[in-house]
Amino acid sequence: MEKSEILKQVNAIFVDILDNEGLVLTEVTTANDVEDWDSLTHIHLVVAIEKHFGIRFTSQEIQGWSNIGEMVDCIASK
Amino acid sequence: MNQNQDNMMNYVVEQISSKNQLHSKKITKNLGKFDDAYFTRANNFLKRYVKLLENEGKTLDYAIDCYLQMIADVNYESVQFLQTGEYTSKSFEEVNKRVYDNPAIMEYYMHALVMSQFLWTHHYDILLYFNKVISDNSKNISRYLEVGGGHGLYISEAIGIIGEMAHYDLVDISKSSIEIAKKMISNDKVNYMLTDVFEYFPENKYDFITMGEVLEHVEDPVNLLKKLHSLLSDNGKLFITTPTNAPAIDHIYLFRNADDIRKVISDAGFNVEDELCVYSEDMPAEKAEKFKVSMMYAGLLVKK
Repeated sequence: MEKSEILKQVNAIFVDILDNEGLVLTEVTTANDVEDWDSLTHIHLVVAIEKHFGIRFTSQEIQGWSNIGEMVDCIASK
Repeated sequence: MNQNQDNMMNYVVEQISSKNQLHSKKITKNLGKFDDAYFTRANNFLKRYVKLLENEGKTLDYAIDCYLQMIADVNYESVQFLQTGEYTSKSFEEVNKRVYDNPAIMEYYMHALVMSQFLWTHHYDILLYFNKVISDNSKNISRYLEVGGGHGLYISEAIGIIGEMAHYDLVDISKSSIEIAKKMISNDKVNYMLTDVFEYFPENKYDFITMGEVLEHVEDPVNLLKKLHSLLSDNGKLFITTPTNAPAIDHIYLFRNADDIRKVISDAGFNVEDELCVYSEDMPAEKAEKFKVSMMYAGLLVKK
């Protein structure tokens, strides 16, 4: 899957979990840019992404992304 | 170490911010609701803890890294919990092999748990509730027992309120816990017993027993509460805390809600005299339910 398509689908998951219709993610978006993206919602985002893409992340991967681009790269590598 | 001795909490929060952006947002939000009294108490606790660390040749930075490692573990366990609806460990044998009998894990885990006392804000709400319970009952307490004393904060608070004339015993199965408690409790009034509480048969019963965050670590919480029932005088009171929906590397027994806990309490022969339920996140109950946020239950129990 193209990274742009992964980003689009990840964006839809963020909108759903964070209940934020207007949210637009880019590869450089970080947690500081999204008000409700904290350690609690991050877990729910990870679970939703795993289910959606049919993948599993390692403990290190869950902690390691510094922005959306790195998250998308990780999904693409699975 | 360059943290300001008078404001260690600020230093801890700054370090967490620089190392874990996501967790920092949670910590900053949750600590925002507290007043100066909280930070004074937290700083006093950290000062005692830093002395302990220094005696071991360690620094507060080491403890912060231990805490963040635990957060990483909790996050991973949380993902598994949300996927399966179960904790990853089902038996004491599993946890013993994975955590208690694994020195490398225990080393960081003990320090991480100490750090969590004032970083997880529901712990503070429960501590204030405990202080109120002890104050309300202090006149009737001449023999006090704590099971699983952890870092010794609760028994220290109890001594401060009840006074030094009472008798204080602390039973813990973990040598690491006992060692930390001895160093954190600046008082020689406490008798420490390194033993499994099921192997503990004192000559006299207790007026008050405290057991914080132990039930979730055992396979059969009813059996453990029954043991405490046998150690308590007829008019004695038992103070317990335990969390719901709290995945961690050493949690076995899953309480899904407060009613699960109340059933175990009743099955062991206790009535609830008073209780407090606090979510681990500062958010409306509806949102906490949606995100399956862990809730800490504290109960003051009496014999049926």
